[in-house]
Amino acid sequence: MAMKRRSRTILRKTFSSLWVGGLGLVFAYPFAWMAVSSFKENSQIFLPLKFWPEFWDLSFFQQLLSSEWFSFGKVLLNSLVISLGQSVGAVLFTSLAGFAFAKHSFRGRGVLFAACLCLIVLPRQMIAVPLFQWVHTLGLYDSIWGVMLPGMTSGLGVLYFTQVFKLIPNAYLEAARIEGAGEWRTYRLVLPMLGSSLLSYGLIHFILAWNEHLVPMLILNSPDHQTLPLALSSLYGSSLRFPFAVLMAGSFLAMIPTSLFFLISYKRFKNSLSNVMMS
Amino acid sequence: MSFFSNEIFGEASFVGGDNYREILKDSRYFKALRNTAVYTLSSLVLILPAAMILAHGLKSVFGKLRPAFQFLLLLPGLTPPAVLAILFLLVFHGRQGLLNQWFVLPFGWKYVNWLKDPDFILFALVLQCVWRWVGFITFFLLSGMEAIPKMYYEALQVESARSWHRFRWVTFPFLRHVILFCIVYLIVDAFALFSGAYVLLGGSGGTADAGLLMVSYTYQTAFTFGNFGTAAAMSVLMAPFLLFLLWACFWGYKRLITVSLARE
Repeated sequence: MAMKRRSRTILRKTFSSLWVGGLGLVFAYPFAWMAVSSFKENSQIFLPLKFWPEFWDLSFFQQLLSSEWFSFGKVLLNSLVISLGQSVGAVLFTSLAGFAFAKHSFRGRGVLFAACLCLIVLPRQMIAVPLFQWVHTLGLYDSIWGVMLPGMTSGLGVLYFTQVFKLIPNAYLEAARIEGAGEWRTYRLVLPMLGSSLLSYGLIHFILAWNEHLVPMLILNSPDHQTLPLALSSLYGSSLRFPFAVLMAGSFLAMIPTSLFFLISYKRFKNSLSNVMMS
Repeated sequence: MSFFSNEIFGEASFVGGDNYREILKDSRYFKALRNTAVYTLSSLVLILPAAMILAHGLKSVFGKLRPAFQFLLLLPGLTPPAVLAILFLLVFHGRQGLLNQWFVLPFGWKYVNWLKDPDFILFALVLQCVWRWVGFITFFLLSGMEAIPKMYYEALQVESARSWHRFRWVTFPFLRHVILFCIVYLIVDAFALFSGAYVLLGGSGGTADAGLLMVSYTYQTAFTFGNFGTAAAMSVLMAPFLLFLLWACFWGYKRLITVSLARE
């Protein structure tokens, strides 16, 4: 009986491994194709039935890295600075806001919290036009700050950190206050307890910022200030004769940071997500 | 801003409700609205059940393989949409695309020009959305499922062993919040869809405006035609619509809970 049940479990596991894995491969197939295509001539790329290139041509990566099409190094640096700045700023501001919402009651709290919820509900793309005007008025047009500053706000972050701070027992805060710590110091003392939540939120925000397209496109004008997705898509629109392999190589490199971050913090990320969801 | 004429850099004059009147007369606006609604609904209907099934599948996969599969499924969600759209272009390319070469031509059908044929553009966009988000939603659902205490399943085992009952009486009630979050997330994202459509269709609506979405139309009005006032009015009009939609979501959610509680 027990034997039978065990073999049935194994059968079920094998079955679901097969179909889920197959689906995963289908999902990821275009990416593999992209990676391989970065070694191909234009004429070969549009032959999808042939997967492997005839010979591995590294010249497209060289073209990309030597900035033949756009200044790759600068653009990559821009992307990194903007996304990192956004995620650090967002973690700082939203965790502060979350602390206030979770642990203090003050006048207008409900209204402010509702405003934060509205911020989630109204995507940034929707307010692109007024945002553009603001940034222009502040004189940040075509500067990295113009993208970074608006990106540091996040309604989702406020909601998330409010939940996270609610999980922290008040006793800790009281202990800190009895010792004579001010609000700022109390917040700082509690912060290490939230390490993995801070990290996961920073990660999500990094991914979102890295993938952002519309706002940087509106604000960053000169080629040297662009972000990577922007540069890639403008490359695509530029002409039909440029080698697609360069585009593929660039896209492939654009995927690496987010995937890497995700792989590193997969476990932590998942645990803290489970915690917050079930609270 | 929505009450002013279009000068963003110069003097703007107050034009009152003119911008709004203009929108209400604009048939392209309603087309964009309709397209966005179709896009949002169909992506919701396709993604949520698929993600639920996938999450169950992933749960019973061999433990060692799970992170790897999860990563494969998540890959489209981690990539910049601009890159995704370029890839998608290769898959959906008129004659030489993957889809045509593999699934259409071998059966002796005529190839479909996916991104130029007005009947298929929206479908292609929806498919892109599904491809992009299924993995993410699965990830959320799975994280939620793993947090459900085992004892509930064991308790149910006494009453009934059917897997549908396990889902109906334990998994689903526990995941209600997560599902609501996913729905809201998908709706907001669908309304914000820009990058994919921008790269695929070049900032316009594609052939016969079949792929015209709200954000791309707003963008086009503002930055291609230069009517900032009208574009701002569009955004303003959009906000209560979206709020209403989300309110409906929350309302339906509450209702669902009350009904299921009453039945229990």
